[in-house]
Amino acid sequence: MFVLVLIAYTILVIFEFIPLYKQKLWRDFWVNIVLLIFSFSIAMLLSFGVKIPSPANPIKDAITSIIGK
Amino acid sequence: MQKEQITDKEAICLITIFILGSTLIIGIGGIAKNDAWIAVTVGIIFSIPILLIYSRVLSLYPGKDLYEILNLVFGKGIGKLVSILYIWYSFHLGALVIRNFGEFINTVTMTKTPMFVPMLCLGLVCVVAVNLGVEVIARTSAFFLPVTLFIILTVLLLGIPKLHFNYLKPILSQGFSPVLKGGFSVFSFPFAETVLFIAVFFSLKTKKSPYKVYFSGLLLAGTIIVIVTIRNILILGGLLGKLYFPSHAAVSLINLGNFLQRIEVAVALVFAMGSFIKTSVCLLVTCKGIARVFNLDNYNSVTIQTGLLMIYFSQILYDSIMDMQNWAFTVYQYYAFPFQVVIPVIVWIFAEIKKKKMHIPSS
Repeated sequence: MFVLVLIAYTILVIFEFIPLYKQKLWRDFWVNIVLLIFSFSIAMLLSFGVKIPSPANPIKDAITSIIGK
Repeated sequence: MQKEQITDKEAICLITIFILGSTLIIGIGGIAKNDAWIAVTVGIIFSIPILLIYSRVLSLYPGKDLYEILNLVFGKGIGKLVSILYIWYSFHLGALVIRNFGEFINTVTMTKTPMFVPMLCLGLVCVVAVNLGVEVIARTSAFFLPVTLFIILTVLLLGIPKLHFNYLKPILSQGFSPVLKGGFSVFSFPFAETVLFIAVFFSLKTKKSPYKVYFSGLLLAGTIIVIVTIRNILILGGLLGKLYFPSHAAVSLINLGNFLQRIEVAVALVFAMGSFIKTSVCLLVTCKGIARVFNLDNYNSVTIQTGLLMIYFSQILYDSIMDMQNWAFTVYQYYAFPFQVVIPVIVWIFAEIKKKKMHIPSS
């Protein structure tokens, strides 16, 4: 499964990042790099079947502690 | 950033489909049982003042989007902070819509396919749509709305033999409090989510048109939702609050003669179009916000990564469909309240004060 993720992200880097690099849009480039690292790590974790904690339950707990149900 | 123009008619179609979006999938007002239609009406009445506030904010700053307004009203620092809150909200909302769609496909039609696959397909289409810009999304919705209306109307007509009018009675049997609770849920689930349109309607023609667009959209979508809810009650009766996808279940009961069956596929098409438009708008608002906060000159370059992140986020959001149902109907309205009511009201008050101060020296 993670091979697919690797291939997809390689294609993405070739078609997304090299044009940005060539156009010298440095702000876009760095923002994109950060987002890419983030999404790539999540994709790898998902492909290995790691369970990532969801923010839904903390939000629910916080709201029930405020509203009090 | 290049200037994009959408006409009032396209904007009305956009807002109508946005409101219909995931509402038709998971149904609303289930807490009020067979008074759900009263709950929907109450929700529409609740949402009129808040929509007035949104359109007032928009007409105070014509040609500006949400993030520019936040920057102008709160200044650079706090404006960026509030912008990040709105980026989070639209990102989360988009993930919720993708998840609703994925659960629907996974539960109803493609049970053996992993849920990630339909969500990925929907998300990638939305990425393409956002890359093409708000004009394309608006024109797509102008094309989708007649199709949607036609399908809903046809299904309604075909469903007439299955309607049981005695399911509406007894009206208000459990008092007014479940209706009010359902009304609050309805207010926050489809109607007040239109707060995101402050970031989209930066390119309407005149100063008056935000009012026209917001209220025509509210009226059209509200009428459709009330009609659909009444139809669901009349077909399903007491089952309404217990089903995950009441519209789909209600339509699947319709069969005429022995040849006109399984028309729920037509309704699934409506669901797909609605979630597509809604997710695109959410993704557009998120990308715009990221571009504004980091001072990028175009939001196109961050679209793909944000879209992928949204899809992954919707995948990790819930464990099961029970979680989703519970969250959408008991937690969501309180979670969304600050974004939908508190911050817009503060923005509106500050904007009015600023306008007054600007006017007095000049006149």
